[in-house]
Formats: sequence, structure tokens, C-alpha cells
Amino acid sequence: METDDRNLITELKQDNTRDLAFHRLVKLYQERLYWHIRKILLSHEDTDDVLQNTFVKVWKSIGNFREESSLYTWLYRIATNEAITFLNSKKRRSLLPLNDVSDYLMENLASDPYFEGDALQMKLQQAVLQLPEKQRLVFNMKYFEEMKYEDMSKILDTSVGALKASYHHATKKVEEYIKNND
Amino acid sequence: MKILEEMYEQEKNESELSKIKKEMPFGVPDKYFDDFSARLHHRLEAEKQNLPQPKNQIIRFLKPALGLTASFALIFMLVYWPIKSFLPDYLAKMNAAEFIEPESDEHEFLTAVEMLDENSFFALLDESTIEHGISESKFNDAELLNYLSSNVTDYEIYLQTEN
Repeated sequence: METDDRNLITELKQDNTRDLAFHRLVKLYQERLYWHIRKILLSHEDTDDVLQNTFVKVWKSIGNFREESSLYTWLYRIATNEAITFLNSKKRRSLLPLNDVSDYLMENLASDPYFEGDALQMKLQQAVLQLPEKQRLVFNMKYFEEMKYEDMSKILDTSVGALKASYHHATKKVEEYIKNND
Repeated sequence: MKILEEMYEQEKNESELSKIKKEMPFGVPDKYFDDFSARLHHRLEAEKQNLPQPKNQIIRFLKPALGLTASFALIFMLVYWPIKSFLPDYLAKMNAAEFIEPESDEHEFLTAVEMLDENSFFALLDESTIEHGISESKFNDAELLNYLSSNVTDYEIYLQTEN
């Protein structure tokens, strides 16, 4: 773990330095976590809600952080879990099948006032939405964020081999979707 | 081997994928990241106010004991009070029974008397009469003869004088 992160954690765990350290933590990680969540949820409003939930959870559970993983991995894991929990709650409310939120996400994509891409980028996003949940996560983290498999393994609690296979299948499906929808 | 071939194929496909701009095609509202920290601060303040107060925690710890006490009070109200109101004789009998001397005391006394020999018994009897303020001088000879003639036979008197 980096020294800066170690100092930050120490300050977060002390009552007298906690508020200031938390402010620093938010400033340091808010953009990275925002984009990580936004790739999963697509909608800005949903992302904003989940990003706040993520930091509230960090605030509440920093005392239980055992420092077995890096701060970065721990934050990404919380953010990912919060985003998936949010999607699951959407599934329950709209009585969708357990692994099917693609329609909800497709609507988010189509009605997003902050989408700034071209037609090809829209097609790529639609292709990603056809993927199963786990493959979608892996594809986003590897393709857009260029995250290392080792880090992804810690965040998603999945072996590196399984992640490589998942990415391989995801890329194949995305390519096929783009070719078939030309 | 098959997976290697597929991965080689994937690399070719990725070159096609790379034709698409890799950056995220999404935007955020103006100054979103500048304001986020302040909005989060308000949210945290609200969360802190919703946290359980120490007073509530004390009540939470005392709740089982209070519940138990209330249960006993309820049972007392439902059982003892109606009996006291509607069956006062029953309770009076119950209370009186508590003041009756147990039979075991009488039994112990009789056992002790049986174990005494005759001389000890009369000595004890004399002591008890003295304790009760009854002295021999209160009897005159006429009263004694009268008592003996009505309660004791001549033969019994003879036997006592022989001993």
C-alpha cells in the first residue's frame, strides 16, 4: 500500500483528523469512482446516488477496514457492490428476471442528456449492454479503464484466469454485435 | 489450442474495436465534481443525526428487564388482585394456615418427655410449677387429702410410700 494511502487511513481512523481526511479521500477518488459506477449504470442521476451511497458506506465502515487490500481496491469493491445492489433493487421493483436489466439500462442510454458520443460509440454501448452482468463489468473495467487483471481479481473476487476468459468472450460478443448491426 | 486461436482472432477483432474512440462518451453537469463534496457533506450530516443516540441505547439494554417486570406486574394484577377482591375468605385461610404451629414441635416435646426417667420428670415438674409461681405452701393438708382421695387409690398411695 502506498504511504499516502496509509497515512490517509490512519487519519481516517482517528476522531480528531477524520473529517479532514475524509474530505481529502473524496476529492482524491470521486472522479475515478464516478466513472467506474457510470459505466455500470449509464445514467448520471443513478450514478450520483450510488456514488454518495458509496462514500457514506466508506465513512461508516472505515473503522472496520483491516488494510488487507489497498485503499483503492477497497473503494472500488464498495462502489461495484453498491452499483450492483442498486441494479438488483431496480430488478426487484420492476419484477425483471434476475439477470436482466439491459432494457432498463438501454432506456437510460437512449434518454441520457449527457451522452456526447457518435453513432459508433452508441453502438458500442448497446453492444456492451447485451453482455451478461459479469462480462459487462469485466469488459468495462478492462477495455475502458484498462485495469490490471490482478486488481480486477481483488475487486471482483474472481481468479485472473476466469477474468481473462470472461473478457475474451465479452470482446467476441461485442465484435459480433457491431458487425451484425452495421 | 482452440482458445489460443480464438485469442489470436480476438486480437484481430480488437484492432477493429480500436477504430471506435475508447474514451467514455458521457458528460457530467457543470461543476458536478466541485459541488459533490459539499452535497455529500450535507448527506453525511443527515446520516449522523439518524444514528441511534446513547439514551436510546440505554433504553434498548433495559428493555428486556422492564418487559419482565411489567409481565410480573400484569400477572399480579390478573391473579392476586381478583382473588383478593372476590375470594377474601380463601386468602384469609391461606394466611391463617401460616400461623398454625407445625405438628413437629409437639412431637419433639413428647419424644423428649419419653426419654426422661421418673425422678428427672418430677424434678422438671417441680421447676415448672415454681416458674409459674405456684408454691407448695398454697396447698393445705385438707386440700391435699381431698385431692388424693378423689384421684388416687389407696393401693397407689401404698405403692408410692413403699418406693
